[in-house]
Amino acid sequence: MFKRKLSALQYPNSDSLNANDEQQFRKVIVWLEENKIKKYKADKRAISDVNSSNWKNSFEQYKRDVLCPVKPNLTIEELDWFLNFALDIEYLKNKSKYEQHSLAVIKSASIPNVVADNPLDCLDFGGDDFKNGVDCIAKMLKISPHPNPLVTLKACSKLICSRLNPESIKNPNDFIIKGTPFPYEDAIKGYNLGDPILSKAAKSLRLLYIQNLRDLQTQCNESIVFVQNMTANPKTDTKLGKVGK
Amino acid sequence: MVVRSYNDELKYLEKINDYCWRIKIGFQPNMKVEGCFYVNAALEKLMLDELRNACRPGMAGGFLPGVKQIANVAALPGIVGRSIGLPDVHSGYGFAIGNMAAFDMNDPQSIVSPGGVGFDINCGVRLLRTNLWEKDVLPVKEQLAQSLFDHIPVGVGSKGIIPMNARDLEEALEMGMDWSLREGYVWAEDKEHCEEYGRMLNADPATVSMRAKKRGLPQLGTLGAGNHYAEIQVVDEIYDKWAAGKMGIEEKGQVCVMIHSGSRGFGHQVATDALVQMEKAMKRDNIETNDRQLACAHIHSEEGQNYLKSMAAAANFAWVNRSSMTFLSRQAFAKQFQMSPDDLDMHVIYDVSHNIAKVEEHLVDGKPKTLLVHRKGSTRAFPPGHPLIPVDYQLTGQPVLIGGTMGTCSYVLTGTESGMEQTFGSTCHGAGRALSRAKSRRNLDYTEVLRKLDDMGISIRVASPKLVMEEAPESYKNVTDVVNTCHAAGISNKCIKLRPIAVIKG
Repeated sequence: MFKRKLSALQYPNSDSLNANDEQQFRKVIVWLEENKIKKYKADKRAISDVNSSNWKNSFEQYKRDVLCPVKPNLTIEELDWFLNFALDIEYLKNKSKYEQHSLAVIKSASIPNVVADNPLDCLDFGGDDFKNGVDCIAKMLKISPHPNPLVTLKACSKLICSRLNPESIKNPNDFIIKGTPFPYEDAIKGYNLGDPILSKAAKSLRLLYIQNLRDLQTQCNESIVFVQNMTANPKTDTKLGKVGK
Repeated sequence: MVVRSYNDELKYLEKINDYCWRIKIGFQPNMKVEGCFYVNAALEKLMLDELRNACRPGMAGGFLPGVKQIANVAALPGIVGRSIGLPDVHSGYGFAIGNMAAFDMNDPQSIVSPGGVGFDINCGVRLLRTNLWEKDVLPVKEQLAQSLFDHIPVGVGSKGIIPMNARDLEEALEMGMDWSLREGYVWAEDKEHCEEYGRMLNADPATVSMRAKKRGLPQLGTLGAGNHYAEIQVVDEIYDKWAAGKMGIEEKGQVCVMIHSGSRGFGHQVATDALVQMEKAMKRDNIETNDRQLACAHIHSEEGQNYLKSMAAAANFAWVNRSSMTFLSRQAFAKQFQMSPDDLDMHVIYDVSHNIAKVEEHLVDGKPKTLLVHRKGSTRAFPPGHPLIPVDYQLTGQPVLIGGTMGTCSYVLTGTESGMEQTFGSTCHGAGRALSRAKSRRNLDYTEVLRKLDDMGISIRVASPKLVMEEAPESYKNVTDVVNTCHAAGISNKCIKLRPIAVIKG
């Protein structure tokens, strides 16, 4: 039980602990306090006497002192909490040492340190300046802003790439989608949710979903055509059967 | 078999409204659910006359009248909802043609019946549009009809002209339209506009007999005989301009190509093999039916599963078949107009199956249920927003292609929410026979039939003209009556009417 956590803390009998055994449980708690947690001074540890008849009361007091939220008599949960607590202390003690092995450090060590010459990379994406700037662009492009400025920026970029590229500015009519008006409020049935605004929103979502599905289907078709380029070889041989008179 | 007088029989039938009749429990023995059928005044007369004739003393043999067949289906184990007769219903083997019935997949007693699918498994209709107009085509109508006839093998015993060996067939049976795609016979967009995307995933060629494969191999890519045809049609009327626009149909006069064909001898053999298996399974599992022709097996029995897998393979065969003919039709047009099929905008509008059984989710009494839906001479018609219809038709509802008979109009309908509730998303499939084949041969003269078509300005190419009277408009119900009934009953909406200008037939 708790083998990994115990061995990380270098508890001597980490392999054979049975937390349901009252005596063993008391011993672990005391070991943790004496070697890792060290809440009390060495001479003031009432819980150190594992054979005391008053141990349970001392333990509850100890729990209050270390702010352990676990309810009484849940041995496993209590032990787990104390192990985590001890691990936390251990970690904080050697934080700098462990951080050498963190993913971020390893990654940055293996990637050559590039100084971004793109000024956009140096922007503070969380700042008000950025947010106001993006909102401003969105307003110009008539895009309703999203609470997350990055999402808004993505929408702006999409519009600029598809509609404001040199090609589409030259021949705007080739790129403006000419739809025929569609009475979606009457035509989509089964979305009457009582509230007209809600129904309208549901119907709009339905249309967006259909558009997504269309894009997916087009991609499927493109994949099929790609494979057909390699496999297709349609043949007919009129000698096999009789056609015409 | 209950013997009652016609007037006594009528006590079990009740007209619910102008377009729908109820068949009450008791009309045939052991009915688990009620039956119903959709008719208007004209079709109602045909339906009741058929019953009256069957009640006359001494009338035995031949198929039972359609109403009786619908009621017998209502007596099959595991049926849910109602046994439904669509407006074009007429007697067939076991199940009436134009009968749909759904069985609960989670009921161990539920059955699957080859008679509920029909012998021509996945017989269906495909519609191609073009960007040509009637005025472009009329001057070259004869040449175009001949060109189609020169490209598509037709008639009894005809052989395909797309080279295939036994291994190709195995792959085609498993892959359906994906095979045609891989080999380059069709376009990626064709698959998108096809029921089930042109492939039943549970197909297993190993469950299909050698005999079926031997029969099927040379016939792949052929139109066949009987009521199958390829037609050049012109848009005659647009009822729903917006939905038609979604299908790429802009104005009256636009030219389309309709292909009506199925799984040829392959499907027939699969059905025949299954019937033999099922007769044994019925005896073993003590399944009782009112009619010997209703041979069936529990869905989850070995025979049931084998049938579903081989039926799926036959369905795939039919899609490859229609795809091959799509390829040939495009070539014929390309040659005639010296333009690529791409430039002629020859896209598939849709491809429907009207002889098939499929596992679908439906609401039964407000609860979702997994059902095995048999549609024999009945077309799926799913409403707008259904996840199984192509994205382009999400707002209009599934296009439903109703092939008329030689010389009569065809229609495009769309699926409705009301159809989903009333008929498990099913509607009619065509005109529906009014005279039996034998009767047509006796009563009509083929030269007369051909002359009439000529008078109507329809170019025709037939492989066996002496069988043409079987398919004469007089042998069928009026397709307009059938379609109007579906529209009025709300089980599908009228969208486009098409008129033939050239026909090629077996």
